[in-house]
Amino acid sequence: MHVLNETAEAPATDGAPKLGRAIVVTSGKGGVGKTTTTANLGTALAQRGARVVLVDADVGLRNLDIVLGLESRVQHHVLDVIEERATLDDALVADKRSPSLFLLAAAQSREKEDVDIDKMRDLVRALRERFEYVLIDCPAGIETGFKNAVAGAEEAIVVCTPEVSAVRDVDRVVGLLGNRFRPQLIVNRIRPHLVRKGKMLSVEDVNAILRLPLLGVIADEPEIIVSTNRGEPVALRTDLPTAAAYRAIAARVAGEDVPAPMPQQKESLLSRVGAWFGGRRP
Amino acid sequence: MTILRGRRRGLEIALAGRAFEEALGELEGVLAQRPGFYRGTPAVARLGDVLPQPEEWNRLRAALENAGIVLEGILGGPAAERLAAEAGLRFEPAQTPPAALRLRPAREPSDSELSPSARSLIADFAGARADIAARRRRGEGSVPRLPQRAATGTPVQSGLRAVEDRPSALYHDATLRGGQSVHHSGNVVIVGDVNPGAEIVAFGDIAVFGRLAGVAHAGAGGNAAARVMAFDLDPTQLRIASFIGAELERPQRRSNQPEAAFVLDGKIAVVPLDRLPAVVEDASR
Amino acid sequence: MNGRQIVVTSGKGGVGKTTTTANLGAALAKRGRSVILIDADIGLRNLDLVMGLEKRIVFDLVEVVEGRCQLRQALIKDKRFESLSILPAAQTREKDAITQEQFACVVAKAAEQAEYVFIDCPAGIENGFRNAVAGAAEAIVVTTPEVSAIRDADRVVGKLQDRQMPSRLIVNRLRPEMVRSGDMLSVDDVCEILALELLGIVPDDEEIIDTTNRGTPVVLEENNRLRGVYDNIARRLEGEIVPFTRFDQQGLLGRLFGGKKAG
Repeated sequence: MHVLNETAEAPATDGAPKLGRAIVVTSGKGGVGKTTTTANLGTALAQRGARVVLVDADVGLRNLDIVLGLESRVQHHVLDVIEERATLDDALVADKRSPSLFLLAAAQSREKEDVDIDKMRDLVRALRERFEYVLIDCPAGIETGFKNAVAGAEEAIVVCTPEVSAVRDVDRVVGLLGNRFRPQLIVNRIRPHLVRKGKMLSVEDVNAILRLPLLGVIADEPEIIVSTNRGEPVALRTDLPTAAAYRAIAARVAGEDVPAPMPQQKESLLSRVGAWFGGRRP
Repeated sequence: MTILRGRRRGLEIALAGRAFEEALGELEGVLAQRPGFYRGTPAVARLGDVLPQPEEWNRLRAALENAGIVLEGILGGPAAERLAAEAGLRFEPAQTPPAALRLRPAREPSDSELSPSARSLIADFAGARADIAARRRRGEGSVPRLPQRAATGTPVQSGLRAVEDRPSALYHDATLRGGQSVHHSGNVVIVGDVNPGAEIVAFGDIAVFGRLAGVAHAGAGGNAAARVMAFDLDPTQLRIASFIGAELERPQRRSNQPEAAFVLDGKIAVVPLDRLPAVVEDASR
Repeated sequence: MNGRQIVVTSGKGGVGKTTTTANLGAALAKRGRSVILIDADIGLRNLDLVMGLEKRIVFDLVEVVEGRCQLRQALIKDKRFESLSILPAAQTREKDAITQEQFACVVAKAAEQAEYVFIDCPAGIENGFRNAVAGAAEAIVVTTPEVSAIRDADRVVGKLQDRQMPSRLIVNRLRPEMVRSGDMLSVDDVCEILALELLGIVPDDEEIIDTTNRGTPVVLEENNRLRGVYDNIARRLEGEIVPFTRFDQQGLLGRLFGGKKAG
């Protein structure tokens, strides 16, 4: 908890601590990769040396701890802190692989309606005093859980897959968020060979409707499922294009003017994905 | 909730053919549900053969004034004309409203009397009203308010009449995203896109400076001469008055060409905007 | 008629509830059953898109509940079938626009008109989930072989068991080659964790995104390899005993797909 103690002290000069950025990662539709994006973006930001906390706002259906591989180390959760059964320091789980990355897990056995939205806002504010980035992993849907997750955030990243239904749901969420959150877009699970064959919406198709600033594009790679199951964010890897894509997104979030790398068609991917379908084997 | 109806401009307060006391109670209830919503809206009162008592009349004026509704005229027979003269209001002789406008007669018809399309319209408005009421209860402003006008004073006179007689337009300077809706008693202008899942309901025309991909309902009060225009007309569904078009009739669509939709021979037709025929002024306008 | 009332649920979003609902409904309709699909995802409706019926919506679930139209007016008949229709959710409203009792009432009315009523449940375990489950007598739990999806499914199974609702499992998006390489949980793993009766195994098929985007259920595509999979699930729902195709075992794969034309 060395890092935490160091940053807990506010600079005395201006009277108020410099606040970090609170960014909600949301989508409306479930299963488009919010949690994976939160974990990888957080990891990539932490690799840049930033102090990052990831907040799982999916009370009752938490998953961020699994994706980060920290589930066995979670002892306290958001509601414990809000309801003052634990201090923030007790509840924050440090990710040993990324020294400046922390997780605040959601309560699995509680309901979203149990969260007091004002206290959620206070909690995010408290985290912003201690971290440069507070990434909030929003639950699917637009009900109470969504409202709680958005409550303390100042910015939004929306994750969309190249599916008509996902675009529709993301559009709904962007409408609900309004301009205050300056939403930016990550298009997830693009399969370049399908786009080329006209069997999948392209990034341009998706953004023709959404018309949002594009943060980045992530290809659909089997490694992501593997890494999710194993609790090792791909952003930790150095050998994968996907990891480079997350690092580029992190750089753009941090304000650097780097181009968003577009996933390229790789022969290996095609043969791998196509292999078991038969007929398409080279 | 039959007491208030939309008309070409503003509202009609339907008091004809029913007990004044009861109608007034209903009106006050409706206005109380949406305080401030109708502020600045012009209105006419439709009266039957029996005139209200002076105290009832005063109560009506007070209720309207509280809600900011500007009573401009009275519709009705000879008895109503006398009252209008006394009150210094414009008088319009009552006519039988055109068929399409007779969706919600003062006395509820049995369900079977209504055509399916009429029921569709009724449901639309009920839904719109419920949505608007819910938004207002939550303190949200996603449905823009009608422009404020001085609630007191006499109606605008003569010279401006020609302009004033056109329905007011609502100007929405942003993209409407899925799940968002705009409902307005006049024309609607959107500067931006209307995305799939978004919805516009207007009593007048709808013009979209952008791509219309959601649902648009023009002439929702029954005006079959209403039009829908867009830079890129690609709606999920168009409705004009009681006509519904999912698949649009348009033989020669070119992309990036502004188009307009209107009702032709009982169907919704689409033409390039520069070939939109002039609107025929008929009885239903 | 007193049709079966089946909720399709998962906890986690994006695992394929809506696609499963659409394809099971279509497979049963192909067998001559009368089927009504109800989209319970108020505010984020998608079943209409997956079925390609979004342009034909006039009324929706909330308007039926509020008595502004009859159920039969709101049902959209799918012209590709004799006996399949959907009841769309409202897009501009929120989940709390209806109560559990009201939803259950609509489902009961639908069950008077069809042999099968499927309820497409929203993601999560909030109001939308409670409404969707309130109208059902049995449940199909859809999960993918991912740890996070299984954890959410487990949470949902617990809630279904609290209501003593008979539930069966569909394992969706299985990638056999990843199971073989040890990178994905096997169907046996999933069944063991969730302790549910298995109703079907659906392999991952990248073309399903395309058919979903185009609004055509795969069971209508002549050459689609998933067609038989959903047909088998439909037969199991009808009480037939249909052996499972074990996609995740070595050897069978070639026999299954080897002779078929891809795409």
